[in-house]
Amino acid sequence: MPSIRALTNDEREARLGWGLIAPAMIIILLLILYPIIYNVYLSFFDVSLMGQNRFVGLRNYTGILGDGEFWRSVLMTFLYVILSTVGTTLAGLGVATVMNREFPLRGLVRSLILFPYVAPVISVVFAWQFFFDPVNGIFMHTLVEQLGWVSERFNLIRDPQNALWVLIVFNIWKNFPFSYLMILSRLQAIDANLYEAAEIDGANGWQKFRHITVPELYFVVGALMLLRFIWNFNKFEEVFLLTGTNIKTLPIYTYFKAFIGTMELGDASALALIQFILLLGIIILYVKRVLKW
Amino acid sequence: MKRLLFLVIAAALLSGAALFAGGAEETATGPVEFDFWTTQTQSDRMATIQVLIDTYTAINPNVTINLIPVDENDIPTQINAAAAAGNLPGLVELGAENAVTFGAEGFMDKEATAALLADIGEENFYDGVLRLVNDGAGGYYALPYHGWIQGIWYRSDWFEEAGLDPPNTWENILTAAEYFYQPENNQYGILVGTTAEAFTEQSFTPIAMANGAALFDRDGNLIFNSPEMREAVEYYAELAQYNPPGPQTWRARDYYLQGKMAMFFYSTYIMDDLAIADVAAGSLTGENFADLEGGAFDPELVNNTALAPIITNTEPAGYGVVVTMGLPQQEDPAVTAAASAFLRYLYTQNAYITFLHMAPGGMNPVLREIATNARFQNDPNGVFKNYGAEKMAEIISGMNEIETFSIVDGVRIEAASAIFSNQIIPQMLFSITQEGVDIDTAMARAEEAMLEIVNE
Repeated sequence: MPSIRALTNDEREARLGWGLIAPAMIIILLLILYPIIYNVYLSFFDVSLMGQNRFVGLRNYTGILGDGEFWRSVLMTFLYVILSTVGTTLAGLGVATVMNREFPLRGLVRSLILFPYVAPVISVVFAWQFFFDPVNGIFMHTLVEQLGWVSERFNLIRDPQNALWVLIVFNIWKNFPFSYLMILSRLQAIDANLYEAAEIDGANGWQKFRHITVPELYFVVGALMLLRFIWNFNKFEEVFLLTGTNIKTLPIYTYFKAFIGTMELGDASALALIQFILLLGIIILYVKRVLKW
Repeated sequence: MKRLLFLVIAAALLSGAALFAGGAEETATGPVEFDFWTTQTQSDRMATIQVLIDTYTAINPNVTINLIPVDENDIPTQINAAAAAGNLPGLVELGAENAVTFGAEGFMDKEATAALLADIGEENFYDGVLRLVNDGAGGYYALPYHGWIQGIWYRSDWFEEAGLDPPNTWENILTAAEYFYQPENNQYGILVGTTAEAFTEQSFTPIAMANGAALFDRDGNLIFNSPEMREAVEYYAELAQYNPPGPQTWRARDYYLQGKMAMFFYSTYIMDDLAIADVAAGSLTGENFADLEGGAFDPELVNNTALAPIITNTEPAGYGVVVTMGLPQQEDPAVTAAASAFLRYLYTQNAYITFLHMAPGGMNPVLREIATNARFQNDPNGVFKNYGAEKMAEIISGMNEIETFSIVDGVRIEAASAIFSNQIIPQMLFSITQEGVDIDTAMARAEEAMLEIVNE
């Protein structure tokens, strides 16, 4: 006869735990895990929207790796991601250091700085486009007509020669407040006694920054850079909205493969997976080397 | 309205009764029901079409017509699905290219089309319009119904003052673009598309066609890399120098409305922007920036604007899109008869003009007599009144010269459509005009991409 016994407290807790996370788990499995697995599956097929999918093995992958446009896109992505990540962090660090000092109306300035980060991308992008419109924008008007610094109007945002740099500047401007906020909160938690002790030992401003502030901030900045790297690597809306079709970072390139023209969904799935593997490799390397976990 | 409702209900009841009776009767006078697919999905346009249907069914109580909106991008999928399920609509509104595609697959009733065409009179249609739906053997896949034309819109007052000829030839266009390009005054010569988008291909097509350049020959061989095409690309790149700075697309038409540009490629959908102040104001923001030059709406612009719908170099060419009414194959001949009769009604003057007035300028008549018809020119928004009878007739005559890369001598080349939807030509023009890639390299790259599609 099977023995019937009351559940122990631990078991009850465990059951309750499972019960509570089950709804979230199911949603994640359905909406995130299933598409990912299906994406991996599709990447081995020549996908046809009307007929049957045809298994092609690794052909989608070899095709992409042999395509010059893909490598240009990789280069563009790294340039964009690295420069914008470094820029965002440095800007955040600089502003946070300044905002950590006492001055009148500091509270107001601190909250105003957050504006670019909280404003919706679409409205900010349109504002930039109005400002920098080559014919009607206030920027060219000021530069050419008012100041006379430049003799001829040019298309700052859309011109492929400038577009990448504009994107980087836009990304830094839009996202530095997040870094600033994180760094500032860490700065405020540094024990003032450390600085006092250093002063007694005769340290100057730079030495205090180098030997107290930087080590205290190391892990915050390290984690921030990792997050920003991941976010920018997968960034779609800013790039697409601001420069249209002119700059093809990996997410945009994938989008084009998948949804524009003849819709190469197999190629696009393979691309998405390659992008994921690239990102994963970098994350592992970074976590081991920089965050030393 | 009550009477109408009664009639509709009566018709529905009768058709139900016919079903119970076994549906043995197939005379043209028996109750008939069919679907009418329209690509005019906006609710106000559907309401207008519904009024036409109600009017028709009130006179012909034995006919029931179900109006079904289908997005024009979904037409291919929907038609394939309906054909597979054996329930094609009695009547369908679709672009000429799709009509040819599905006609070639045997989905369209060419006999019924020919009969109706003969009834209306082939000679009443613009030749250029009929050519787009011809099957290459004297027959037609569908009946053209309305269309828009693209051309070069230009400042006739500026041209007159400068003593320049209208921009209707390669030479005239280039001369004028160069003449009016004054970047130091924030004024530009012309707008041609230079981004990797459809607009770029739309402005390039008539230029290439005017030089006798084509993508394919009659037998479907790719002949993209020809001296004519190279000349056209070279010419286009030269024109693009007189554009506003940077990559440009149709949105830059605003610069014309602000008096900062002499010429621009655009469809006849621009007509209401030119003519109606509040519509134009919607696309202008100048009045919010009082310090910037230009800005305010120019009520004289419509009188100072002319359209050159046809471009000539070695031959004349125009570009536009024709929307047709198709009669898909039916099992029941009564449906075809009823749909034909209803379509005949849609071509009667009053019904036709009511339909076209849904989008003044955007929907242009394919029947010669309508362009100069007084009632047609008196649209509710007053768009046409601003243009005058003569100018309207001149604009609409562009319907006669419409050409596309995908139909060569009436033979439809499928790969040309794939090349279009993959934006190969716009990408090539973008790389030449914006990235400084040399013409031969860019053309070789484009040809390679085209061959990939052709060989698939």
